[in-house]
Amino acid sequence: MMPSEKTQGAFKKNTSGKRLSTMIMNDYLDLHRRASEGAFVVWIAIIVPAELFGGFENVVYAVPESHAALCAGKGTGPVLCEKAEGFGYSTDLCSYARIDIGTAFDGGRDSPTFGLPRPDLLISNTNNCSLLVKWFDVYHRAWGVPHLALDIPFCYENQKERDFRYIMDQFGTLISTIEEMSGQRFDLDRARESVQLSSEAFKEWKRFLSFAAHRPSGITAFDSFVQMAPILTSRGTRRLVDHYRLLADETAEQVKNGIFPVPDERYRLLWDNIAPWHQLRKMSGRLAGLGANITSASYTYCIGALEGEYDPYEFDGNDPLAWLARLQNFSVCPHGLNLRGKAMNEVIGRNAIDGVVFASNRSCKVYSLMQMDQMRYIREELGIPCVMIDVDHADVRKYSEETAFTRLEALLEMIGA
Amino acid sequence: MQSFPDSLADLKSQGHTLIGCFPLYPPLELLHSFGLSPVVLWGLRQDITHLTRSDRHLQPYACGVARSLSEFVLSRGRELLDAIFMYNACDTLRNLPEILESSLDRHGASIPLFRLHIPAVPLSRPFASDYLNERIRDLIGELEKFTGRSFSAQTFLNSTELYNRQRRLSRDLERLAETGRIRFADCSDILLSAGRMSLDDHISILERTVREFNGRAPGHQGVRIMLSGILPPPVALLDAIERTGLTVVANDIAALRRSYDYLPAASADPGAYYRDLYRNHYPCTTILPSADSRLETIMQTVRESGVQGFIFVGEKFCEYEYFEIPAVKRMIEAEGVRTLELEIGMDDALNLDAYQTRIEAFAEMLCHETRGSRRDNDAV
Repeated sequence: MMPSEKTQGAFKKNTSGKRLSTMIMNDYLDLHRRASEGAFVVWIAIIVPAELFGGFENVVYAVPESHAALCAGKGTGPVLCEKAEGFGYSTDLCSYARIDIGTAFDGGRDSPTFGLPRPDLLISNTNNCSLLVKWFDVYHRAWGVPHLALDIPFCYENQKERDFRYIMDQFGTLISTIEEMSGQRFDLDRARESVQLSSEAFKEWKRFLSFAAHRPSGITAFDSFVQMAPILTSRGTRRLVDHYRLLADETAEQVKNGIFPVPDERYRLLWDNIAPWHQLRKMSGRLAGLGANITSASYTYCIGALEGEYDPYEFDGNDPLAWLARLQNFSVCPHGLNLRGKAMNEVIGRNAIDGVVFASNRSCKVYSLMQMDQMRYIREELGIPCVMIDVDHADVRKYSEETAFTRLEALLEMIGA
Repeated sequence: MQSFPDSLADLKSQGHTLIGCFPLYPPLELLHSFGLSPVVLWGLRQDITHLTRSDRHLQPYACGVARSLSEFVLSRGRELLDAIFMYNACDTLRNLPEILESSLDRHGASIPLFRLHIPAVPLSRPFASDYLNERIRDLIGELEKFTGRSFSAQTFLNSTELYNRQRRLSRDLERLAETGRIRFADCSDILLSAGRMSLDDHISILERTVREFNGRAPGHQGVRIMLSGILPPPVALLDAIERTGLTVVANDIAALRRSYDYLPAASADPGAYYRDLYRNHYPCTTILPSADSRLETIMQTVRESGVQGFIFVGEKFCEYEYFEIPAVKRMIEAEGVRTLELEIGMDDALNLDAYQTRIEAFAEMLCHETRGSRRDNDAV
C-alpha cells in the first residue's frame, strides 16, 4: 500500500521544513561568502566543538561529513563516490569520505553546495572514528594544509577525570593554533555565549524529540535526521535556538491538533545507526504504509547528552571549554556497549518502543561493530523484538530495499505476534 | 609448523603465564617485566579457518585480524590465555573488549582484560606525554594487582634490553633476506614465530639462524621489490613471488619491519621508554601522528633499496591502509616504480590461484622491463 498524503506529513514543506531549507542554504552561502571575503576557514569533523570558533572574530567552519550527508540525501552520493573510486580510493572506505574526496578533488562539481571553500586548517578527531584523521590527511597531503587532530579517549565507562584534562589540554592547543594561524585573538566570553546558545538549542532539540513519547508519535526519526542538519552548520548561534524552539512549538501544536506523521501507527520502532540518507522519504513512506513509525533513533537522541544518557547536559554558565570537553563522548561511536545499552534502554521505556531496527552500516564500523551484541541484549534482556538490516549511510549502491523490507516486515510480524 | 593454539598450549604446559595482546604494538616489555609472556594475536588466519563464534558477534566487514582474533579468544581463550591486553590501535579493535568480555562472561569463562590508550597526537606535546605517563602508571598498578608482584625498574630495564636484542636480530635476519642469503618466506616465517614462543626461545632461534645464514654467499637476486601491508601475504604467495623471479628486498609490513625497525633506548623508566618508542616508532598507518613521515620513509626505502616493484598486500576492510594507498602509489609510481595491489580477505587463504596469476603477470612485466633496460644500457 502506498502511504497516503496524510502519512507523508512529516515531509511536507511545513513552516519548520521550509525554514530548515532556507537556513541550510543560507548557512552554505554565508560560508562561501565569508570565506571569499577572507575569513579563516576550518574543516572539522562533526564532533569537533564548533562553539570554540564563536570565540574568534572571523573564523568559519565547514563539516565534510555533513556535506556528504547532504549530497547523499540529494541523490548525488553515487556519482561523487565513483569519482573518489576513480582516484584510487577503495569502495570499502566510508561513503562520506568517498563523497567528500570526490567533491574536493573535482572542484565541487555535482555537489548541491558547490563543494566547500578551501580550508586554512583541518581539524579532525578520533572520537567518532579515528579514520577521520586518515581522511583529513588526504587533503593535508594534497593541498599542504595543516592538520590538527584531537584525540578523545573511548569511554568504556563514563569519561574519566584524566581523559577530561587531556581533552582540555588539546582544546588549548587548538585555540593557540588558530590564534597563530589566523592572527585573531580568542575571546572566552564570546565562546561562553556560543556554548550557552548550544546548550539552549539542545534543550529545545530534546523537547522536539520528546514528542516521540506521544501515542501516536508526534514525530518520526526521519524528521529528526533531517532537522539535525543545522546543528552542524549553525552550532552556537541564536538562529539555531530559535529554529529548534519553533520546531518544538510547531510539533506541540500539531500534536495538540491531532496531526501525526503516521496516524494509524501500530508499530513504534527505534533506529540504531546513522541515517540512511538516500532512503529517508522512501523508507518512511513505505513503513508508514505498514502502520510502522520509526519514532526514535540513537543517532539523534544522543545529541546534547552525556555518554549513556538521554537528558541534555546543561551548561552551568562557567567554563565553556569544560562543558565542551565533558560532552566530547556524546555521540554513540565514542562510547561502549554498556553505555549504549543504558541509553537505549531509557529511550525504549520513555517512548514505548515495540521493536528495534539495527542498521548494520558497512560505511561506519565504529557504530556497527557492537550491534550484534547490542541486539542480543535488547532482545534477551529487555524482551524487545529486533532485526538487523544492511545499509550504507550514503552509498545507495550498497543497499537493497527489498532485502531490507523483507526483514522489516518480519520484525513487524514478530511484534504483531 | 605447530598451529598457533598448539604452540600456546605448549607454552602453558611449560608454566608460562600468557597474556594475549591485541595488535599491533602493545607494550610488550612492561608485560614481560611482570613475568608475563605476551603473545600478539595476529597472523592467525591459517589456523583459524572457521569463524563460528566470531560471526555471532562481528559482521563480515570487520577485518580478518579482528575476526580471527575474536574467534580464537572466544573458542580457546579461557583455556590458553591468562589475561588479555588491548590498546586503541584502530576503531575495530577498540570496539572489541566489551564484546569479548560479555560473551566470555555469559559462558562463565571470564579473562582479565587490561586496556591502554596511547595518545594519537604527537608525543612531543608535553600534555600528551604526561597523559601517556599517567596511563602507563595506571597500567602498572593494575598489573601489580594481577600478578601480585611489585614493579621493578631493574627487571623492566632487562626486558627492554631483551626486546631490543630481538629487534636487532630481526633486522639482521631481514638483511640476509635482502641479499638473497635466506628466502624471504623463511625469514618472514621465523619473524612471525615470535608470537608463538617465549622471548628467550625466539631470540635463540634468531641468533642461530642469523649465524647460519650469515656465512652463506649472497643468493641470486631477482627483480627487487618491496611489500607493504599489515601482514605478509600467505606463504603460497611469497613462494609465488620468489618463484617468478622477484626478490623482496624491503618491506613495510606492520607485523615485520614496522614492528622492530626502531630501537628505543633501553630504560628503567617505563614512561620515558614508551614515550620514546611510540614517538619515534617506524611509521604505520595506525600510528596517526606518523602520517607525514610514513611517506618519506617509504620513499627513502624505495630509493635506497633500488626497488623496482611495489606490492600492496591489502588487508580487506583495513581502512587505515586503504586511505593511504593512493598517495603512496602516486608517489612511488612517479619514481618509475611499478605497483601491484592485492587485497586479501578472510576467505581468501584457501583460494589463492587468482593472486598467483596476478603476481606472475606482474613479475613478467617487471622482468621484461628489466631485461629491456639492461639491453638499452648495454647498447649505450
